[in-house]
Amino acid sequence: MNNHVRELRGEQGWSQADLADRLDVSRQTINAIETGKYDPSLPLAFKIAHLFGRPIESIFLPGEE
Amino acid sequence: MRAVHKRYLREFTLAMSAYVLLILLYGVLMPRTEGMLWRVVLAVLPLLPVVLVIRAIVRVIRDQDELERRIDLEAIAIAAMSTGFGYFSFGFLLNADIGLKIAPASMAIWVMPCLFASYGVAKLLVVRRYRSHE
Repeated sequence: MNNHVRELRGEQGWSQADLADRLDVSRQTINAIETGKYDPSLPLAFKIAHLFGRPIESIFLPGEE
Repeated sequence: MRAVHKRYLREFTLAMSAYVLLILLYGVLMPRTEGMLWRVVLAVLPLLPVVLVIRAIVRVIRDQDELERRIDLEAIAIAAMSTGFGYFSFGFLLNADIGLKIAPASMAIWVMPCLFASYGVAKLLVVRRYRSHE
């Protein structure tokens, strides 16, 4: 799965640690999501979408299988 | 450090300190204790803080974030399989009677340290899978 989390975070001027604090997860988790090493659960993906005020499908995109 | 890990560190440190104290007590008193009941009490006492360590581990796994939990559970699965396989293999070698002399008590006591050690190594390996090299 691909995502736009890094771009959206950059637009807000937040560091990975800032975003991690806002989502109550570790910075390691944000890094793993941004680099595509880890796909978040549905509840966390919705939390991210809610934080950025965007629909979930505009942030997370299906990747190549 | 996140609050969940600070709590874990505090609980783990307290429990391990109690364990060290009780093991020292065990070492000092056990050779001088004759009564069966007191020997059982001395042997079982150090296990109580170990239960607290297990509780601390369960609590941190339950309360940390989803990726941290996934890493820990994968590492624990690898550690459980490795330790089980190691002991299983060693049992076969002992059964083959090839000159290995190990006290049964030592075999049993080393299960948990082996499990913790292999968990530590497994976690280092699992974390690498989720780490970016950017």
